[in-house]
Amino acid sequence: MSTVAAVVVTYNRKDKLTKVLDHVLGQSLRPSWVVVVDNASTDGTADILADYAKRDDRVVVVSLDSNTGGAGGFATGMARGYELGADFVWIMDDDCYPNADALEELVNGHAKAESTLGTQLPYACSLVKFIDGSICEMNNPGTTWDWGRLISKGEQSVLVTHCSFVSVLFPRWTLTRHGLPLKEYFIWFDDQEYTLRITKDAPGVQVLTSVVVHDMGVNRGVNFGDVTPANVWKFEYGARNEASFRLHHENAVAFAKFVLRMFQGLRGGGVPWPLRVRLFKKVIEGVKFNPKPDFPRSVL
Amino acid sequence: MPPATFELVDESGVFDGEQPGILDDRERALVIGAANYYALTMPGQTFRFTVLRGPSGSLPSLTDEETSQIEWADDRQVVGSMVFRSVVHTTRSSGEAEAMIDLTVDVGGAEQIATAYNQLPGVLGAVRRAVRFSAPVQFDALRQFRTDVIHWRNRSEQPSKASPVLIDRGASAVGPGKVPAVLFGIHWLELGGAERWAVETVQLAKEAGLVPIVVTDRPSSHPWITRPEFDGAVVVPLTMPLPPGQESAFLNGVLSAFDVRGVHVHHCTWLYERLPWLKAVRPDIPVVDSLHILEYRTGGFVDISVRMSNVIDKHHVISPQLRDYLIGKQDVDKDKVALATLANLTVRGEAPEPAAAADGPFTVAFVGRFTQQKRPYLFLKLAAELKGSAPGDIRFIMHGDGELSGEVHGLRSRLGLADVLEIRGPDQPVSRTLAESDVLVISSDNEGLTLTSFEASAAGVPVVSADVGSQASLIADDLLCPRHPYPFIRTAADRIATMMTDPQQRETWLAEQREKSEAFAALPDARSMVRDLYQGWMQ
Repeated sequence: MSTVAAVVVTYNRKDKLTKVLDHVLGQSLRPSWVVVVDNASTDGTADILADYAKRDDRVVVVSLDSNTGGAGGFATGMARGYELGADFVWIMDDDCYPNADALEELVNGHAKAESTLGTQLPYACSLVKFIDGSICEMNNPGTTWDWGRLISKGEQSVLVTHCSFVSVLFPRWTLTRHGLPLKEYFIWFDDQEYTLRITKDAPGVQVLTSVVVHDMGVNRGVNFGDVTPANVWKFEYGARNEASFRLHHENAVAFAKFVLRMFQGLRGGGVPWPLRVRLFKKVIEGVKFNPKPDFPRSVL
Repeated sequence: MPPATFELVDESGVFDGEQPGILDDRERALVIGAANYYALTMPGQTFRFTVLRGPSGSLPSLTDEETSQIEWADDRQVVGSMVFRSVVHTTRSSGEAEAMIDLTVDVGGAEQIATAYNQLPGVLGAVRRAVRFSAPVQFDALRQFRTDVIHWRNRSEQPSKASPVLIDRGASAVGPGKVPAVLFGIHWLELGGAERWAVETVQLAKEAGLVPIVVTDRPSSHPWITRPEFDGAVVVPLTMPLPPGQESAFLNGVLSAFDVRGVHVHHCTWLYERLPWLKAVRPDIPVVDSLHILEYRTGGFVDISVRMSNVIDKHHVISPQLRDYLIGKQDVDKDKVALATLANLTVRGEAPEPAAAADGPFTVAFVGRFTQQKRPYLFLKLAAELKGSAPGDIRFIMHGDGELSGEVHGLRSRLGLADVLEIRGPDQPVSRTLAESDVLVISSDNEGLTLTSFEASAAGVPVVSADVGSQASLIADDLLCPRHPYPFIRTAADRIATMMTDPQQRETWLAEQREKSEAFAALPDARSMVRDLYQGWMQ
C-alpha cells in the first residue's frame, strides 16, 4: 500500500487553516502524515497546530524561523514528506478545501493514467473550484496538444504541462529525479517552474473527479493590468521569477515575449509609471537570477 | 569440506608435509584457490603447480596469463610443488586427459592492504603528495569541488542498460552437478564494509545448506581468506587477465560441478559483466546483488549494477538513499529493489548508557580509521578551531589508526593540540571512548552508513557529521554539516559550541538522533532477508 504525506503551507491564516486540516485529515484515503509548514505565522497559528498535533499523531508541524514564502514552504514540506518515507506527497495552500474523496481520486486517477499510457507520470492535480462552484480562474493547468487522450479511453483525466500548487500529487521519484521547487522564487511562478521542469519526461495529469475548493477572496486570475501599490510586491516576485525562467530555462525569444506581454498588460490596465518602472527593474534582476534546485534527502 | 574439485596426486611444501611452515595458512588457501580455478576450467586434466613467493608487498598471481610461463623474476622463491587432477566433468564423455599441464602460481609477499592512496607515480605523484601533506585542508577543498563537478555531471547522465536475455533455457551438453551451491562475486577478501557483509552471506549460505563458491576479482593478498566463514567454501581468487577462452570454461566448470541455485554479487565487477552470458546459458538461475554505497566520484558498483539491471532479478540495497537512487533516478522496477539494512551489525544487545559526566572538560571524539575517506585532518583542524573559540574547557580524543597516522601525529603538534588531544590506538575499546565523550564527530567525505553512529546513539552521544551518503538517516538535521571543508569546520564548531553552552539543546539533538536510529533499525533486516532468500533457493 502506498503512503501519502499531505503538505499544507500556512502563513497567518488560522481560521481557514483549521477547515483545511479537517478536510485533509478526513479524507477517504487517509494520508499517513499531514505535514504543516508554518511560515513563521504571528497570529497564533502555532497554538492551533500544537492542538492538532496532540489530537492526531499524523500531524507533523514544521515551524520555520522566518517567512520563506510559498516556494520555500512547499520545498521544506515536500522534503519533509520525502524524509518521512512517503511514496507520494500531496501539496496545497492553507485556503484549499479538498472534497472528501479528492486524494483517493487523485491517486487512482494517476495510477490509471499511468497504466493506460504505459509510462510514469510526474504529477496529478485536482480540478480547482471557487467557493461558489465555478472554476477557479487562477488555478487552471496548461494542457498538452493531446490533452484528450485519456478522455478518449473513458478516463476523466486531462494531460497537462503545468499547474498551480493547489492540490497536486507527486510520486516520490519525481522529487528524487527533479528535486524540489526553487525556494528562491519565494512566491509566484514557483509552481509553474516546478511543474514545467518535471513535465520534461512526461506530462502531468489533471484528474477531473478530484475536486478541491479554493477559498480565495476574489475569483480572478493573475493579470499585470491589476497592479496596485498594495499588491505590487507580489507582482515584483512574479516579474523577476518568470523573466528568469523564460530566459534561463527557455530562450531569449520566450523572454522577449514575456516582457512584451507584461508591457501590454501594464499599459492595458493603466498602471502608474512608477509601478511599471519597479516591475521592469525586477525583470532586469531576473536576467542575473538563476537559482538551482535542492534535492531532498533519503532518510527512511 | 566442500566437494573437492580436484584430487591431490603429489605435493611438496604446500600441505603439512615434512616441512610444515613453508606456506602459511593464507598462502596455502591461495594455492588451493588457484587449484580450484584450474580444476574447474580444465576438467579432467592433471596439473603441476610450481609455487612461488614474492617479496613483501607483491601481490599474488594465481590465474592470469603469467601462470603458464616457466620463467620467473629473480626475487621469487620456490616454496612448493604440487600435482593434482581435476575431478570435474563438463561433458557426458570427458575427453582423454592430456599430458600434465605445468603452471607457475605466485602467492605474492607478506600481506599488505592495497590502497590507491600512494599509487600515482612519478613527479606528478610526488607533487600531489607534497601538496596533500603540507596543506591537507586546502587540498581537500579542491577535491570537494571536483566532487561537485562530477556530482553535477552524473545528475544529467543516465547510464545505459544492457539488454535483457529473452530465452528461458540455454542449450547445454550436460546437466548441472548434484551439490547445491551459490556463486558469490566479491571484490577481495580484505577489510571493508561490503566485504564484512559478503563474508556474512557466505556463512548464511553454508547455514542454509548451500556450498558457497566465492570468486574475487581484485588484486589483493586476501588476508581474510583464512577466516572460518570460508571453511567449506570453494574460494577462487582470480588474478587478471585470465587467458583467452578460460572465462567461459571456468564458469562452465562451476555450473557442471555444482547445482548452482543462485548468484549473489557483492561489488565484483568481473562477475557483474559476465551476468548477461550467465543468464544466456542458465536463465533459470536467480541473480541478486548487494549494493552499499553511492560512490559519486567513480560511478562505482551502483552504476554497473544499473547497467546490468536487466539480468539481475533483485537488487538488495542497504540504505534508503540507494533505493531512491535506483527507483527514482535510474528507473529500476520498484519490485526489483529490496531495502534491507545492516543496522543491527553492532547495536544488537547494547543497552543505552548514561551520557558522559557533566563535570570535567567537554570531550569531542573522532572514531575511525585514519584514511583519506575519513578525513582525520579535518577533525584536527576543527579541534584547533574549537581550542581557540570554545566557550569552556574542551578536550579531544582521536581513536583509530591507519595510513594517515603519521599525518595525524604531525598535525597534532603543528596545530598546537598536544596538550588537549589524545590519540588512542585500536587496541582500546570504542565503547570506552564513547563513554568518555560528549559529542562524536564524523568528518568523512563519503560514507555508506556509519555503524559508529548507531553505537553513539546507544551510548547517548550526539553525532555531528558531514552530510554525506546516508548519514541523514541517522543524524539530527541541525547536526548535518556541509561536505566542503571550511563550511564543515564552521558549522561543526558552531554546533559543538551550542552544545557546550546549552545542554538542553544537546539533549534535544540526541533525542532526534535516537529517534532516527530507532526508526532506521525498524526497517527490514538484511540478515533475515538473505536467510529467507537462500532457504528459498534450497527448495
